[in-house]
Amino acid sequence: MASMSADSSDMESDSSATNSAATPDPGGVFFDGLSNRRRIVALKLSDALEIRQGDEQLARWAFHDIRRADSPSGLLRLSCLTAPSLARLEIRDPALIAELVARCATLEADLPNRKGVVAIVGWSVAAAVSIVLVVLFGVPLAAERLTPLVPDSFERRIGDVAEAQVKVLFDGKPCSNAAGQAAFAKLVGKLRESAGFDNSVQSDVLATPMPNAFALPGGKVFLFDGLLEKAENPDEIAGVLAHELGHLRHRDSMRELIHNGGTSFLIGLLFGDVTGSGALIFASRSLVTSSYSRDAETNADTFAIETMHKLGRPAKPMGELMFRVTGKEGGKGFSLISSHPLTEDRLARMDKADAGNKPNGQPLLSSAEWQALKGICGSGKGKV
Amino acid sequence: MNDMSWTPLGPPQPPPQPVPPPMPVAFSGSRKEFLRLVARGAGLELVTVGFYRFWLTTDIRRHLWSNTLIDGDAPEYTGRGKELLIGFLVALAILLPVYLGYFLIGIEAEHLKAFASLPLVAFFYVFGQFAIYRARRYRLTRTVWRGVRFWMSGSGWIYALNASLWGLLVVITFGLALPWREAALERYKMRHSYYGDLQGSFEGRGWEFFKRGWWLWLLMPFALSSYVFAPFAYAAFKAVEWRWWLSGIRFGEVRLESTLSRGALIGLYWKVIGCILLLVVVFAVYVVLSTLLVASMSGSSIDTFFKTEAFAKSIPLIVLLGIGYLAFALAMNVVMRVYLMRDLWVRVLSSTIVHNIAAAANVTARGDLANALGEGFADGLDVGGF
Repeated sequence: MASMSADSSDMESDSSATNSAATPDPGGVFFDGLSNRRRIVALKLSDALEIRQGDEQLARWAFHDIRRADSPSGLLRLSCLTAPSLARLEIRDPALIAELVARCATLEADLPNRKGVVAIVGWSVAAAVSIVLVVLFGVPLAAERLTPLVPDSFERRIGDVAEAQVKVLFDGKPCSNAAGQAAFAKLVGKLRESAGFDNSVQSDVLATPMPNAFALPGGKVFLFDGLLEKAENPDEIAGVLAHELGHLRHRDSMRELIHNGGTSFLIGLLFGDVTGSGALIFASRSLVTSSYSRDAETNADTFAIETMHKLGRPAKPMGELMFRVTGKEGGKGFSLISSHPLTEDRLARMDKADAGNKPNGQPLLSSAEWQALKGICGSGKGKV
Repeated sequence: MNDMSWTPLGPPQPPPQPVPPPMPVAFSGSRKEFLRLVARGAGLELVTVGFYRFWLTTDIRRHLWSNTLIDGDAPEYTGRGKELLIGFLVALAILLPVYLGYFLIGIEAEHLKAFASLPLVAFFYVFGQFAIYRARRYRLTRTVWRGVRFWMSGSGWIYALNASLWGLLVVITFGLALPWREAALERYKMRHSYYGDLQGSFEGRGWEFFKRGWWLWLLMPFALSSYVFAPFAYAAFKAVEWRWWLSGIRFGEVRLESTLSRGALIGLYWKVIGCILLLVVVFAVYVVLSTLLVASMSGSSIDTFFKTEAFAKSIPLIVLLGIGYLAFALAMNVVMRVYLMRDLWVRVLSSTIVHNIAAAANVTARGDLANALGEGFADGLDVGGF
């Protein structure tokens, strides 16, 4: 009887004679797992699988302990639970393979199979759902609870780092026109007092053409010259500064740092290795974090409105300034991914808040001071 | 040609010829089967938001290992996806505080000077090298041939230190030191690799690698500046590298040799580029079509649709593009795996010859299993190989 299946024709042609002489029974190749010696063995199926070489019985494998191992097609490779873990028996004879498969009920038990895949999919979906829940509820909660625990000194350090990076990134030098500085200090001082901050708050105007302003952790407020240029009266700038002070009061940047860090980490964990997941991570992260920061913006607006009203000044000019910068934002469909509420909504809200609260305070800056502030970055850009 | 695997081992045989003929390595797997494997795997990766990668990697290795015939016998990959998952989770638990520490140290460094924390990236480079070594150790200990496993000793940290210092030298010499770096690192890896009680070694010399590839170094400026030329240069470099590497590998008296020609991989890389371009075109057409579709459904003309920037905020469009993008990414995955794993594997194997395999005829099993922590780090840090 031929010991090899038909597909290994290259072996059959020149060695079948010697092999059929050596293995008269249906045979196989046996490795005992202790050395790599290749033994041509005879196999006998009784109540167990008997592996013999000549008269010597090398092993006796019970059928229910036999497992399939990976092999090229056309070859059945077996291992046994009670044998050394790497002992292998290789069989090519199709009839013998069929008989063994029929007798070993648990042959495939240890190989990855369809049931295993279903379990993987199930657990993965469960893990994904739990990660999404943690991102949506757990991380904001953690950010909320952790932020007050962060010591001020540490927050100030982060602020220093961010400040140095901001100055490099935006190539912004602090503007130092003396009269402008004085006007700016006066404006910030009034807001600070009204909002109840001590004088640890630092603020500067940076010579950057971008119309923007922001607060950094540890009490730093930056105004870009670009925004100053677009402003038409002190109330507009005061509103913006009050809004940034609101971020400081709520420690929004610290909270956002914790929130963004946690969210990035978890979403990165979720998508792992799907190629190009970078874009996916970025997209889903901005979705999550922008909804979070919209809330922070609304709260900062509330703070700005209150502060301005305490000074007896209207909040609406700030909204008008923003409207001038962004233009109308609504009616374009979808605002899930924008980090701020729609400008026109903010303007409407401030308008409404002003309605019940007639501004009766003195102007925050005289017109001469306002001109000086506009010209704080020198170079004549601030001229009317 | 495979008769060697049968005749000398029947017990009553006369002693074989003193110098057995060199033995080519064969691959018996079907390409269609592999394609089905990775396509199904890509789909499952999508459904499991990426977690299936551990099992897909395992299945790919099982397929490649068990279809490679060395002296007529195929090795076996005994690793399992679950091990990789556990390795990944443990690596994550270790990486998390490391990242946190990195962040805090970074803040202190930035406090002194803006962007002073960038050199800390170097730490992750060293860590990545450690991961590469340990991942290799995992793969090797899961590789079994003729009932005996490969294994590895040595220290991942010493290797990482070596690799990093050599890496520095390569940077300083504009890449000229690369052959010597690879030779030194391979020597370390192979000296600590074993098949049972058979110790490995690496006999490739940096100088030989340099001799075969120096002209590529000279051509590098052109390769970097020309999109058409770069794939040729890269393919030639990889071919030279593979051939040099394989020809240096020894296990005891067993010697590998590779006859891979310099141009052997050029077609492969161009096929990958062709496929990617095709996918990009298909994706672009899909983007245009879905934009037109959404525009026509929303009732506005194409012009106003774009002018008002409404297209950037339309939910149906974002969903359509998201689905298209995912399909595109998965198709890319399949292409990469079929060409750059399976085809590359087969191409390189077909050029490989084993000399004096008889020296590995009676090897005693030794060596313990290594854990998959290194693979986990490699996954977390995005370094890795097959």
